[in-house]
Amino acid sequence: MSSPFSRRSFLTAAAVAGAAAAAGSALSGCSSGPPAGTATWSMWSDSPQEQQVWTDFGAYVRREMRVRSLSTLTPASGYPTKLDLQLVSGTASLVTALNGWLIPTYAARGAHRPLDDLIAADPDFDTGDFYPDSRSISSFAGRTYAVGFDVAPTVLYYNRTLLEKNGIAPPSPTEPMSWDTFRGLARELSGPEGQYGFTCAPAIDDLVSWIYSAGGNVMNRAADRSILGDAEAMEAIDFVTGLFVKDRVTPPIANLVTENALANFLQGNVAFMQNGPWQVVNVRKASFDWDIVPFPAGPAGSKPRVSGSSFAIPAGVGDDQLGLAWRLLKTLTSTGALNIYARAGRNNPARLSASTAFAPPPANLGIVRRILDRRAGKLAGGHPFDVTTNWNQVRQLLGQDLPRAFLGQVGAKEAVAGLTPRLNVLMRQNQDAVRQASAKS
Amino acid sequence: MAVEVHPAAPVRAPGPPRGRRHRWRGSETLAAWLFLLPSFAGFVVFTVVPVLGAGTISLLNWNLFSSPTWAGLHNFARLGPDPTFWSALGNTAYFTFVSVPLTLLVSLGLALLLNQGLRHVALFRSLLLLPYATITVAVAFVWIWLYIPHDGLVNAVLGLVGLHGPSWLISDEWAMPALIVMSVWKSFGFGMVIFLAGLQAIPQQLYEAARVDGTSPWQSFRNVTLPLLSPSVFFVVVTSVIGSFQVFDQALVMTNGGPGSRTTTLVMYIYQTGFENYDQGYAAAQSLVLFAFIAVITGLQFLLQRRLVHYDI
Repeated sequence: MSSPFSRRSFLTAAAVAGAAAAAGSALSGCSSGPPAGTATWSMWSDSPQEQQVWTDFGAYVRREMRVRSLSTLTPASGYPTKLDLQLVSGTASLVTALNGWLIPTYAARGAHRPLDDLIAADPDFDTGDFYPDSRSISSFAGRTYAVGFDVAPTVLYYNRTLLEKNGIAPPSPTEPMSWDTFRGLARELSGPEGQYGFTCAPAIDDLVSWIYSAGGNVMNRAADRSILGDAEAMEAIDFVTGLFVKDRVTPPIANLVTENALANFLQGNVAFMQNGPWQVVNVRKASFDWDIVPFPAGPAGSKPRVSGSSFAIPAGVGDDQLGLAWRLLKTLTSTGALNIYARAGRNNPARLSASTAFAPPPANLGIVRRILDRRAGKLAGGHPFDVTTNWNQVRQLLGQDLPRAFLGQVGAKEAVAGLTPRLNVLMRQNQDAVRQASAKS
Repeated sequence: MAVEVHPAAPVRAPGPPRGRRHRWRGSETLAAWLFLLPSFAGFVVFTVVPVLGAGTISLLNWNLFSSPTWAGLHNFARLGPDPTFWSALGNTAYFTFVSVPLTLLVSLGLALLLNQGLRHVALFRSLLLLPYATITVAVAFVWIWLYIPHDGLVNAVLGLVGLHGPSWLISDEWAMPALIVMSVWKSFGFGMVIFLAGLQAIPQQLYEAARVDGTSPWQSFRNVTLPLLSPSVFFVVVTSVIGSFQVFDQALVMTNGGPGSRTTTLVMYIYQTGFENYDQGYAAAQSLVLFAFIAVITGLQFLLQRRLVHYDI
């Protein structure tokens, strides 16, 4: 005799319950989200120290705006992918952090909204308090798409201990070295076994500072043609690849993925490293004395790449949320917030009124502000990082083929000649994207 | 409905009345479907819909953020003159046709060794399975360290026997072989376990009969082991070829496709096209072509199976 609750009926009931639970959990997953009025923002974060800065930002937002602050923190390497998915699915925060070189990429595709109307309607917002290079980096096709929170030129770090050990006086803290002087020093300091004069990544991001200082660029002013093969850019590429291949003043390249100038420099056996002041926080852990000096001056002077990061508002933010988003963006880029950022020693804040908070050590850190300040005369020479709407592709192309010149597998001229036709195709695609974006706006 | 019973029909075993039997069958079928439902729903949502979606997206120009526009077959037409696509396909084929036979040989060799009645077989089996069970990205970083040209372990060992190892991951000639060696090391454990199970399922009487007939160990391996292991070999070959055509993470982590584009694989190129260059339509077209390649090669393997694989003992 079968029981009222047989094995079969139990299994049937279990299957029904399972299916219902699965359906229920799927539905509940679709309905979650922060309550209306929450100030949501996203940012990359790779360490507890960075996380602390963003936690302090959250507290500042709550205090200043009197709303709930909800930040989404993601490791830097996964941040763009996560942001893409959030933008596409309409789940992005009201305000999202962007690396400056990605702004044209997102702006041209309509992922973020221009801010000019919001800026014009807000008499409290003073664009003049932001470094011109930061404003330039945050714009695309003549419109402002973001507001900066940090901005910095590439500088030259040097190992003071190593120089002293070799009886070499520290370079001038204010006067950029000439390329010849720099090369001579790098050679002189590369003599003993396992000691090197210079380190940088074999990549376009580091190479452009030399190209700008030689008076060249990756593309022409109209950004419709590559000029990497022009004499100015070639002089720079020859000079830097020569440091690797002919002079052999750099640590040997072991692979093309984990090659890391900072790690090389922190070993203590490298005299000079080019890098941004955003690495000051990491270089402070070095076991030797060090400082920073201006980037070496080429034929066009000292024109290092100036990079920066900004906050932007996704295009999908509705009119009902726009007021909150703009208030949030203003708060996150206010002098008070950037003072928190600067006090943590992260990087140079994008506002002039917050700059003084980025304090030494190193002793010569003030040089960063002098390079950024257009009124600083001879030293003021940073060059905003010129990028295209398809800079990812440009980077990929250059990242694959240029390192072969750094390795000596092909000559610099040959590498650039092979790259130029493909770069020109990308430049034309960039022009199409700019035209389409301009036509839409 | 009346059931017609023929006189010659076999005698049914006694059981519950037929009407009740039908009711039971109905509830069993319902339960079976309900149990299958989660898996089936998962298959539809995560496999069928994406494949259909990829098919649709391949006909569009879509940069992810703005509205897509109709492209027709343009994305497929772009494949022909795209040298990077063909270079990536060539690299993937090179990787597959070298790494799969090597993996097969290593897996089979180790399985035969472990099947010799060694002591502590379970321990060895677990240790040898560890590379397969480890996350590829972690393994890739370890191998980057092993491949360091000047003081990496690989070149240090080669130096002991008087060989001067190359700069593995930055060499035009050696970057892909270096990836293949790492991949074989990473994946042989899977094949080894399958082969070991296959070997242990072969009846010992067949070997005894072969011995009585005076066969050599090689003849015994060739005429008894290999034919009876052929279903396992077939399974490992099919899954390894499919996996190799989808190689991505080790190439991304260890070489980022370089030097030049020597180690750019097709899946890496699809990823770059879709998620770094925001060209979803073209990436979807590439994905469908890759799917077609894998389907054709797997189909050929199934055709060969009829001749080469023996399921009967």
